[in-house]
Amino acid sequence: MAGKFCVSLTRSTDDTDRATVAFVVANAAVASGQETMVFLSVEGVRLAVAGVADEVHEPGFQPLKELMTSFVQAGGTILVCSPCFKKRDLDATKLVPGATIVGGARLVEFLSQGAACVSY
Amino acid sequence: MDGDPADEAWDAGDLACGPMLLALRARLERLAPGRVFRLTTRDEGAPVDVPAWCRLTGHRLVLAAHPIYHLERRKD
Repeated sequence: MAGKFCVSLTRSTDDTDRATVAFVVANAAVASGQETMVFLSVEGVRLAVAGVADEVHEPGFQPLKELMTSFVQAGGTILVCSPCFKKRDLDATKLVPGATIVGGARLVEFLSQGAACVSY
Repeated sequence: MDGDPADEAWDAGDLACGPMLLALRARLERLAPGRVFRLTTRDEGAPVDVPAWCRLTGHRLVLAAHPIYHLERRKD
């Protein structure tokens, strides 16, 4: 049975280094056979809106959009904090593929099932 | 709603996530085991979150038709 792995990300274009490394690690987790969730909260929810990640390309890393796309294509899930998203008045009709708006119970459930979690 | 099987109902209004779940828990705890509670929530996270919360707490989700959810109070 695959293990569970959570990457918690609270940054987006305000800290492109952290945002990029979070998805690099998420890709490593999903590539390692882990059931992997990226949980976007606080400023991180902005990355769930299509187009926001498109211009992020940290030196030495793949572009963020590529990292996010490859993560979802490999079976990873992107969960988006509902109140954080609503607070920022973001458009739920423009979510990137693979992103789902959720509340805290889904995160609690995933972690309570034994998921490891790393935060950025 | 005609034929509504719910024994009690609550519209969560602007509440979402943790605060909504705490208020929901308090209302469900007051119900007798097996009774059905109708929750109305427009929180966009609810379609994933309400089922997850039911799995965590043991209450049974008998209807999920966002923004309406029917929860059967767990048997203690």
